[in-house]
This record gives sequence, C-alpha cells and structure tokens, in this order.
Amino acid sequence: MDSRESLRIAVRSIRAHKLRSALTVIGVVIGIASVITFATFGASVQAEIVGDIGDSSAGNIYVFGTPEDEEGFDRALQPVFTESDVDALREIEGVEAVLPRGIIQVGSVRQGNETLARQQVTATTPESITSDSVVSGRTFTPGENEIVVNERMATAFSQNLTAGSTLTMVMPDGEEREVTVTGVVTGTRGELPVGQFARQPRIFAPVDPFYESVVESPSAGVRQRAYPQVTVVADPRRIPDTKADIEAFLAESDARQLSASDTELVARSGSDFVDSISDVIEQITRFVTGIGVISLVVGAIGIANVMLVSVTERTREIGIMKAVGARNRDVMGVFLIEAGLLGTLGSVLGVPLGLLVGYGATRYADVGFALALDWMALAVVVGILVGVVAGLYPAWRAARVDPIDALRHE
Amino acid sequence: MSESAGSPADADPTVVVDGVTKQYAAGTTVTALDDVSLSLPRGSYTAIMGPSGSGKSTLLNLVGGLDTPSAGRVTVDGHDVSAESEAERAAIRGTEIGFVFQTFNLMPRLTAVENVALPLVFDGWSREDRRRRARELLDDVGLADRVDHVPAELSGGQRQRVAIARALAPDPALILADEPTGNVDTDTGATILDIFDDLHAAGNTILLVTHERHVAERAERIVHVEDGNVRTIEAVGEATDG
Repeated sequence: MDSRESLRIAVRSIRAHKLRSALTVIGVVIGIASVITFATFGASVQAEIVGDIGDSSAGNIYVFGTPEDEEGFDRALQPVFTESDVDALREIEGVEAVLPRGIIQVGSVRQGNETLARQQVTATTPESITSDSVVSGRTFTPGENEIVVNERMATAFSQNLTAGSTLTMVMPDGEEREVTVTGVVTGTRGELPVGQFARQPRIFAPVDPFYESVVESPSAGVRQRAYPQVTVVADPRRIPDTKADIEAFLAESDARQLSASDTELVARSGSDFVDSISDVIEQITRFVTGIGVISLVVGAIGIANVMLVSVTERTREIGIMKAVGARNRDVMGVFLIEAGLLGTLGSVLGVPLGLLVGYGATRYADVGFALALDWMALAVVVGILVGVVAGLYPAWRAARVDPIDALRHE
Repeated sequence: MSESAGSPADADPTVVVDGVTKQYAAGTTVTALDDVSLSLPRGSYTAIMGPSGSGKSTLLNLVGGLDTPSAGRVTVDGHDVSAESEAERAAIRGTEIGFVFQTFNLMPRLTAVENVALPLVFDGWSREDRRRRARELLDDVGLADRVDHVPAELSGGQRQRVAIARALAPDPALILADEPTGNVDTDTGATILDIFDDLHAAGNTILLVTHERHVAERAERIVHVEDGNVRTIEAVGEATDG
C-alpha cells in the first residue's frame, strides 16, 4: 500500500480527535522534553566549564585536601597548607607561581547605610590578580586595608563601587574595618573551576592583613598562616611532571601532618576537573534520562490505550478497507503509522519545549547556551519508536479484525 | 442439494459455487449453507432472495471472498477463493470484486474521490492514476461536482452512487450488491436500480441480494434461498416470454 495514503488516513484520524491526540502525546512530550532539557543544560555547563578552563587555567594545578569518606566536606576546607608549604611548592621545577587562597568570614559589608549580609571574602596574594583581569583601578597592596571586587560586586550596591570607594567590613566578632577598593576585576587567577561557575559578587583581599588562620608549622616550628587551598601555576607544557613532583612533595608537607590521616592531599590539573565535572554531568544526565524513559513508557502506554480505542471505534472502517482489497499488513500499516505519528508529534513538541526549558535553565545558572544535537536526534528517533512500539499490539488487533463482523459493526 | 444454474453454453462462468457447505460452531454446529452449487455466467444479472437467516448473506460473503467455505469450492473469474491465503483473497476482493452495501460503508474521513480511489490504493496504482480513474467514475454516476465532499456532506443516494463508483474502480469481474436500496427512499432506490441496469447493459456481472420482490425483478433471474439451500431459480421475463 502507498505509505502516503496510510499517512493521509492517519493524519485525518488524528485531526478528527484533536483533544484526545493532544492528551495522548503529553507523556511523550514530557519525556522527550525532560531529556532534551537536561542534555542541553548539561552540554551548556560542560561547554562553559571546558571553555573557562581552556581559556585561562591551562597551567593551573589545584592543590587541596579531599577526605575519603563522604561526610567530610568541611574537613576538605581545613587550613593545612602552611607558608612553609607554599614556599616549598615555589621551589618545584616548572612552577611559575603559587597562589594561596583562604576564606575570610565577614558578617556583613556596608557602604554608607547600605548593608550586604554574610559576604565571603577571598584572601590571596597580588599575583592572583593579573593585569588583563583588571577592568579598572589596580590590584591591592599587601599590608594595606585594600580590596578588589569583581564586576558583580561592583554593582551590588546602589552606588557602584570604583577605585577609591570605601567600604566597611563587619567581622563576625563585631569588629569593623574600613577598607578601600583599589580596583574592579573580572576574576582572579587560580580560582577553582567550580568557583567560576557560580558568578556571585566577590571580594578579594590581601592575605596580609586580613587572613588570620594560623597554625604551627611542623617543619618550621613556628606559627604561620595556613590555607585550605593553593593553586600552583605551572608551565602548561610540563603539567604532568610538575603535578607528579607536587604530589611527591605533598606526602612530606606540613599539610600532610596537619591533615587527618584519611584526608587525601591531591593536585588536580584543569583537565582533571573537566573530566570529573563531565563525569558528574554525565551521571546527572543519565539519571534524568532515566526519568525521561519512565515518562516515555507512560506515554507509550497512553498511545497504546488510545490506539486500542481507535481500533474498536474504527472496526467498520477496517472492514471497509478489507472489503476493497486491504491485506492484513495494509491495515496494520495504517494503525502503525498513526501511532508512529503520535510519537513523532510528541517528539516534535517535546524537543522545542525541552530546548526552551533548557535555555531557561542556562540563563538561570548564568552559563552560555549550547545545543546537544546528538541528543535531539536521538530524542526524535526514540519518540517515533515509542509510538510505533506502542502501536504494534493495537495494529495487530486491527489487522485481525474479521471483515464480516466489522461490516456489520454499528 | 445441488442445482446447476448456468446455461450449458456458458463454458466460462464468472462465478462457480460448487458444493459449498458453511458451518459455524456457535455452541452447537449451525449449518448456514448446505451443499449449495450455483453458477453466474459472464455478464449475467442475478438476484438472491430469501428470508433472514436463510443463508443468503453467507453465500454473498463466500462469493465475495470475505469468508471461506467449510466444504466445497468457490471460484471467481478463475480464482479459487476458498483455497487462497488471506492476503490473496484480499487481492481478489480488491481487483475482481466490487462491493455495494446497504449501509454504503464509505470511509467517513475520506472525500468522495478518495473513497472511490481506495481499492486502487491497495492495488498499487499511482496517486495521479487513481484520482483520474475515480473522477471519471464519479462523473459517470453524476457526482462530478461532489468529488471533494466527505460522506457526511452527501445525501443517501449520493453516498450509494459513490459506493457504486468505488465498486467499479478496479474494473471488477463481479459486482456484489447487498440490499443496495435498503437505506434510501423509493425514488432514489429507483435511480440506483437504473444504474445497475446500465451496468448490466455494459456487460458487468452482477449478484444482488434483496428481500424486495420488485428489486429482484430487475435482474435476469432470481435465486430463492431458504434454510441454507437453493430452493428454486426463477427466470425473470424470459419465463413469461416462454
């Protein structure tokens, strides 16, 4: 039978029951849309992170502690890398800079009578602020009550912060410190890739005089500043060697002695991060795809159900087709095409819906929008397959209708 | 019982029903047709009359290839309908037989021209050829201005004329009509019967089932079926003419 004619009959039948058809494809639409949403969002986040790391962090090796058990995230942020460790890291071959990073807890930040509660201030060294990241002004000077802010922070108050603005930082113990903004920056060198992802208002301050986490260095025997994380900027061409040297040093560092024995001290390059983040995104995508598959199964049951009703309603039409020469497989074809068409309709509606929601999610998370074309193609194919598979049994039932009974059917 | 109805001169009848028995297993076995034989010569016009439950519908279904006999043979234009596979019987229904039903049985969502073209779809005609043929046939039955209307937009008589055009579409060896005037008013019925006369005059073989005497009398001969048997075969006109 001419498949265009089957298609024509199927289209007429679907149009004759617009509401019913629309309700039937909702399950497929939701399934396809959820898969597309998360595939798109995942691809966008991945592209963003890979882009960030590729752009500016090719030479970065991030050094931090990671507990082996799961509930130890707080311990990962323990200040264990001492000034002695930082100095030792600087001596390793291929290391261009070592950027210690600490967190200063600040109760609130005030400009005039405007207050922003619970700000986190990153303590680091001037080396972290490269000239090409400075939008205006200059970097801070160690030893001074100076800070730089990122662009988000610069616009956080009703009056924009510029070089020369003054702020009051209220420490958790109630102490107030007057600070001068010396510049606005796009970001800092040595930030963990995950930190770049959330573009929050940020304040960067020099370690001296703001950072006060101090421990006794086991190697030097004196009290020194200690940091939860250190970023090593290395020659990008010899990252693996440098990384191995850093890992070798970590085994005998102050940080090793200061950390709990089950905490692993690691050195991760940008590409390690890309890999692990890609893994996480992939797992989330798989999980959501699972949910999408459940939705598609429900959608398939819906299509099968409506097709069974349709076969019963159109028993007489089946009889007519058979009387004028339709073979069983022609009848089957008509109903399979109709079911496949419902699945296709679900895909055609689900893909743009998923893209729309995915786009919304990328806007919300403030990442660039990227298309997951392979997933889109897969979703359309799956949608059609869902329809066809759901239509198999009803179509088989239709093909088996006895034309004599069917023509008597009222 | 067995009775030969074909004239001896007709060596190549369109339809041969040879010793056909049809039984249904409905709790107890019901015999709808009991060893019936019948022959329809090429170009003949035959009416079947009988009360309901006489087996006339079963006979029509068997000749039309919609059903298979329990015993015996049915051949239509040389095809042994009783021995063919389901797919082959479907092909015979589509090319050798044109059905006209009491309740028209048109596809509700297809237009007149698409309904007429439907048998040609299953016979593998191209869309252009199908439409051309369907338009010609609709023109022949006087519905040239209704080709793109769906059945719901047509009167009963118009629908039956669409159905007749559809039956003629594959240029079948046999036209089977089951109470074709049963669902239309008397005047329209007369028009329909005139079309059948024209078709007969043009050389078509027609088998018509009816319970109305005046309808049956339009045929050349009337086969009376009762209790699953052919009781009598009555020649119309010729018998009185001698």
